[in-house]
Amino acid sequence: MNDELKALVDDIGRRSFDARVGRHGLPERFDSDLWQVLETSGLTRLTTEQGADPADAAIVLGGLAQYAAAVPVAETDVLATWLAGQADLSVPADGPLTVAIADVDPGGDRVTGTARDVPWPDAGPVVLAARSADATFVAVLAPGSSTSTHNLAGEPRGDVPFDLSSTDVVRLSPGVADELVRRGAWARCVQIVGTFDAAARLTAAHIGERVQFGRPLATFQAVQHSMANLLGEVETSRAATNLATFAAIDHGFDSPEADYAVTAAKVAVGRAVAPVTTIAHQLHGAIGVTLEHQLWLATMRARSWADEFGSTGWHATRLGRMALAADDPWHVIVGPVVGPAPRN
Amino acid sequence: MSEFAALRADDAELAGLRSAVRGFLAADRETFGWTPAVDCWLSSWDTAFSTRLAEAGFIGLTIPGEYGGRAPADGTGYLHRYVVTEELLAHGAPVGAHWIADRQVAPGLLAYGTEEQRRRLLPRIAAGQLYSAIGMSEHGAGSDLAAVQSRATRTDDGWLLNGTKVWTSGAHLAHQIVVLARTSPLDPEHRHAGFSQFVVPTDLPGITISPIVLMNGEHHFNEVQFDDVRLTDGDVLGEIGAGWHQVTSELGFERSGPERILSTATMLFEVVEALGRGDVDDRTAAAVGDLVGRMIALRQMSVSVARALTGRGERSDGGWLGGDANTRAAMVKDLGTRFEQDSVELAADLIDGVDGPEGARLRAMLTVARVHSPLFTLRGGTNEVLRGIVARGARAT
Repeated sequence: MNDELKALVDDIGRRSFDARVGRHGLPERFDSDLWQVLETSGLTRLTTEQGADPADAAIVLGGLAQYAAAVPVAETDVLATWLAGQADLSVPADGPLTVAIADVDPGGDRVTGTARDVPWPDAGPVVLAARSADATFVAVLAPGSSTSTHNLAGEPRGDVPFDLSSTDVVRLSPGVADELVRRGAWARCVQIVGTFDAAARLTAAHIGERVQFGRPLATFQAVQHSMANLLGEVETSRAATNLATFAAIDHGFDSPEADYAVTAAKVAVGRAVAPVTTIAHQLHGAIGVTLEHQLWLATMRARSWADEFGSTGWHATRLGRMALAADDPWHVIVGPVVGPAPRN
Repeated sequence: MSEFAALRADDAELAGLRSAVRGFLAADRETFGWTPAVDCWLSSWDTAFSTRLAEAGFIGLTIPGEYGGRAPADGTGYLHRYVVTEELLAHGAPVGAHWIADRQVAPGLLAYGTEEQRRRLLPRIAAGQLYSAIGMSEHGAGSDLAAVQSRATRTDDGWLLNGTKVWTSGAHLAHQIVVLARTSPLDPEHRHAGFSQFVVPTDLPGITISPIVLMNGEHHFNEVQFDDVRLTDGDVLGEIGAGWHQVTSELGFERSGPERILSTATMLFEVVEALGRGDVDDRTAAAVGDLVGRMIALRQMSVSVARALTGRGERSDGGWLGGDANTRAAMVKDLGTRFEQDSVELAADLIDGVDGPEGARLRAMLTVARVHSPLFTLRGGTNEVLRGIVARGARAT
């Protein structure tokens, strides 16, 4: 593990968090100060311009998620810049970008539709992936959305309508959209594990400090068992996500290995969100559900992110179909990953 | 080497071994007709199978060649054993006879045994022909193992063992029992001091073995009574007084292995395979996916502990538990055995969709799984004790 990078991200994240104490709200505002720091440190386009591998990207994304950083680094680097590069479309070399995914039914000479729940739609140019049965249409749109809302964690989300001439889009294979979703699912897994670490850290601190019945909560066996359950969910999620990261490093995001491991990770991580959230809030008591407390910055990000780039149930169905289609389902768990990445 | 393959214990060497075990199991089952069983490591005792498995080279993978074993020189024997164990459990093979000797007694002998003991016992273990039980729990010492009251007292030419052990799996069929006993009186300030381990042959005078019958009538557990059983110095395992340390240092291997995740696996894979031959709706596919996803994630944790125990580092930290293998092993066992328990009723729902002889076979396995299920989270340390270990062992990242 790259300890230096980890320490750098931790330091930047902590400072930005401290600078924003009391200023987190609904919706969150883009943190331009933090973005400047990250950009100066070369962390906003780590994989696309610095040649870093997904393990390094995971350190950055997970570290920033721990501190509820209000910056679309995953969207900019792992998704939008990559997608634009696939289409040979130019996007600004600095500043934030985001990505929009929509299903279209191309008729005539126009590509028309609406991308729902686009993350940070006003922060920068929007790289669109409009997918049909046999193609991915890519275009770069101006920032902005027709609706302005936010997820449970306050992060901006909006609908982005588009009506493009077929000469204004780049036509790529449908596999590009599949890989985009896979990259997004992987990034969300890494980020959710970051929020899990924050929730675990806050909970461990709280039960160590909070005194009831004359002693710290952490001395009660019932509380210790809940804490052990929480940590179990966190470490299971980390193990599954770690496998997905190395699938991407060794075989690329477009490989059957990455398809398999990211799908499994999204299921494991997604199913851990409810228990982690429930236990962390339970052990905090009522203070943890207030806007002034920082716990929701972690738990509600996890809750929201788990539904993006394919819900947990959607990924579970895919993973189940992989096992059901196998000659022996045991081989799906231990054997080499076989076959092309199935279409979604 | 691919880190992805290494993380999954699927690099070329281990993949080759895995496929060799599969080939053996398919051919052996074809020839000898054993029935795959859930919880086979407790309940399926087949001495002929153990001998055949050893002859094929799949027992004694952690025992060096000089003692008749097949441990690879590069120290990866535990990973080899891990892969073989996974295949045996996934196929529900009758592994009970040699199980404890190969898993637990061999590492204990290698770590603490005398040269004479190693030469006497390890070749028989590697041949799949030495069956051992472990005598730890007592009527008054379950989760609180330090309450053990069996005692061995010094005589002129050896030791005199007295006491009663319970839940001793397979003692009625075993050649020997590895017994934890007090060799010094209890010091309330140092409860873990004064214990020693003994390798006790079951045919010695003064040993009475009585069945403790499982609620469906199966007999695996025993009460073992020791009345003035005479032992020699050659029966002492390791150091007098170091018993507690010896017993607890083995737990990493015992607690984090595939048998803490895969006790029901043969039933799970058979039902998924059966369903896969027909049309499956999305809801059922998602239920299968949840089961598979949880198993993959738990297996990753378990393999990572096995790799840590063999000195193979990871390009990631140990998270909240740091690098302490024993704490991580406790977590794996807590999570893995609860998964095993949950999997029984999840499988029951899936089995509803399977008819015919296959459905009947699955329902028979389900019946056994339901009876054995409460044991999953009891044996080898209750999950309540394990969660205490996890909570105390956690550190802030």
